[in-house]
Amino acid sequence: MIDYNALTDDAFRAGLRVFFEANYPRHLRFLPRRMRWHECRDWYLALSKKGWLAPHWPPEHGGMGLTPGKLIIYFEETERAGIGRMPDQGLTMVGPTIIRFGNDAQRRKFLPPIIAGEHVWCQGYSEPNAGSDLASLQTSAVLEGDEFVINGSKIWTSMAHDATHIYVLVRTDRQAKKQEGISFVLVDMKTPGITVRPIRNIAGHEEFCQVFFDNVRTPRANLVGELNAGWTIAKGLLGFERLNIGSPRRPLQALEQIEVLARARQLGDNPAFVERLTELKLDLADLGSLYARYVDKVRRGEALGPDVSMLKIWATETYQRLSELLIEAAGEYGAFEGEIPVGDASVDILSPFYTSRPGTIYGGSNEIQRNILAKYVLKLPG
Amino acid sequence: MTNFAHPSEHAALLAESVADFVRRGTTVARARTLREAGAECDRAQWRGLAQLGWLGVLVPERFGGMGLGITEAAIVAEGLARGLVPEPFTATAVLAVSILVGADNEAFMAEKLPQIVTGKLLPAVAWQERAGELDPGATDAVAVAFEGGFRLNGVKHFIAGAVDADAFLVSARHAGDLALFWVPRDSAGARLTQQRLADGRSSGTLGLTDVMVAREGMIASPAVARAALAQALDRAAVVVGAELVGVMGRALELSLDYMRTRVQFGKPIGSFQALQHRAVDLYLQQELATAVLAEAVHALDGGLDGAPRAALASRTKARASEAALRITREAIQLHGAIGFTDDCDVGLYTKRALVLSAWLGNATAHRRRYARIAAQPGGAHD
Ligand SMILES: Cc1cc2nc3c(=O)[nH]c(=O)nc-3n(C[C@H](O)[C@H](O)[C@H](O)COP(=O)(O)OP(=O)(O)OC[C@H]3O[C@@H](n4cnc5c(N)ncnc54)[C@H](O)[C@@H]3O)c2cc1C
Repeated sequence: MIDYNALTDDAFRAGLRVFFEANYPRHLRFLPRRMRWHECRDWYLALSKKGWLAPHWPPEHGGMGLTPGKLIIYFEETERAGIGRMPDQGLTMVGPTIIRFGNDAQRRKFLPPIIAGEHVWCQGYSEPNAGSDLASLQTSAVLEGDEFVINGSKIWTSMAHDATHIYVLVRTDRQAKKQEGISFVLVDMKTPGITVRPIRNIAGHEEFCQVFFDNVRTPRANLVGELNAGWTIAKGLLGFERLNIGSPRRPLQALEQIEVLARARQLGDNPAFVERLTELKLDLADLGSLYARYVDKVRRGEALGPDVSMLKIWATETYQRLSELLIEAAGEYGAFEGEIPVGDASVDILSPFYTSRPGTIYGGSNEIQRNILAKYVLKLPG
Repeated sequence: MTNFAHPSEHAALLAESVADFVRRGTTVARARTLREAGAECDRAQWRGLAQLGWLGVLVPERFGGMGLGITEAAIVAEGLARGLVPEPFTATAVLAVSILVGADNEAFMAEKLPQIVTGKLLPAVAWQERAGELDPGATDAVAVAFEGGFRLNGVKHFIAGAVDADAFLVSARHAGDLALFWVPRDSAGARLTQQRLADGRSSGTLGLTDVMVAREGMIASPAVARAALAQALDRAAVVVGAELVGVMGRALELSLDYMRTRVQFGKPIGSFQALQHRAVDLYLQQELATAVLAEAVHALDGGLDGAPRAALASRTKARASEAALRITREAIQLHGAIGFTDDCDVGLYTKRALVLSAWLGNATAHRRRYARIAAQPGGAHD
């Protein structure tokens, strides 16, 4: 077993870089959408074989056990290499939840298949009537003997059509206060009574689904943590996720596209364009500074507070502004679909526009983030 | 409904009959179907528009048209855009017709205009060669006199309505100035390619290699061509502004309806002040766009000409483009995840806004043109 944390940062970074460059498929670099399982399975298994699939999991469960500092290097190198997002809910969400809140039997049963690429997970939180107000969720689970019987539906479930398993928040006590009657349950997608309906998104891709539960029976043993403790468990998981969404990498890609276009169309001669571009470049550079402050906090082992919401706001909105400048800078090409040739390169004008939309909606919409900042950081009266 | 025209019974009746046409045609669904097929003009619908007289709205009565003005053309365009009607009304019935009417080939008008009015003949205009270039005189295409006719060479881009066009009105340098020519689609040496746009319609590129045009095919001689094209482009920019007002109006309406009905945290989301203020800001943009449009249609119908006309057309197109893009983007955000689906009409309006704002010069290009005009002696004032 290698102790990655004992390596110097430079040596660790160099090792990752070489492996990523050599092994990550070229055609999947900087993909403007999420990867489907069939596309990235080989890459997933290659990482798994190398022992580099789960950087933040402890070594005893097959992870790299990285310290926060090393973990950030891992993320930086992943982004640098343009590695796309896999169906990674097992690695980022369920695995860590089971490690922290589950029991030994659950760890033995569910962790190894995640590392082996045998189980692919999706997240069943949102419902048609419970989005921002997640605690009002209605999908119910009723105990019958040693089984839960689940009824209801989850929606916007990313990659549910690729998943073998889903973790759901379900209502297990209708009498309790809304946050206190929710449990965290694991379900095999092959269980009778589950139907998956893919939903086409605005860019024409099927990335999310609605998942219906009709008398779906799942063993009581699949309850993670205590009964009715699901809300605390779900909220306890927001950490690196929130840091990740604040990374300057995505917007940087949009900026690079603008620069390719600007060279080809000689927009550098236009002072109004240069000024607008510089404004956004500084928005992005300053996002980098803000991000670095949070990265340092994590490196020092400090917990992230509610103020990290501002990182999400600034990152996602900067990304959107850049995607809008790309369209404006393209002139009449601003409505063309797909790659358009510019000079000796090509640029996809619209895809950053589409990919930057959901960032302000999911992971707690930016309106909700602003509410959080107003209430918990500025402590304004509610 | 239309509130940019001076209130009159006639304007109200016209607006109502457009709305009725849209209602009966279930056109949002139809726009989806055509989009899948890569088509944008259903000839039966086109004949329907013809029967109502709208294809001849700007055609003088002596050629079988209604002989009405930009106000009426804008009322029709706004109403059709609210219903996402994909047929190229503005490209043909405003841009192409305005050129023919403003030109000096009386015999040609007498032959072609009645056929356009009945929907039998569908011409598109091929004038632009470079993105962001709004000067009708900036053309590299050339027409050389040759054996009793002309020989045309050049490449034209960003042609709206090209998919179904039977013929193209092509601008080219001739005798030291500009002239306009009629090029049937199947002319030898004419090659049309199409690029898919965000809303499923297409932008055409017309390559001309030694295309022969008979003497009668010169629609506008150098004496009038530049002025006729400039006027037609200003009129079309204003009418596209009306389309954009229709698009933003419907997108805002859908969002306000959603804010009234979508419940989170036990209340309609429209009761949250953060969203109320957002909606008010969007409404304000819509009203600004409507106000400048009202001023423009009135002034153009009053005969406003030259630099003041160009300046007002640019103001209209710049504001309408900017406002429509902003309102439709925010409409996605206000709808949450549903707004990011292909099923939600809001996405269709966003895509139409992208297409219309890029066509005939986007907000940036028109602001630049406005600044240039304003800097001239006499400037933008009327
Ligand atoms: C691409 C994508 C992938 C997703 N993947 C998943 C997934 O895998 N699993 C999963 O469970 N969910 C997923 N989601 C769902 C996501 O978590 C929800 O979209 C999000 O919680 C918002 O809920 P909603 O869409 O119902 O919007 P709503 O909550 O209905 O919000 C509508 C609008 O109202 C605003 N609003 C709501 N409440 C307030 C308030 N109090 N004050 C001010 N404004 C407010 C919102 O900000 C938004 O603009 C995904 C969403 C997207 C877009």
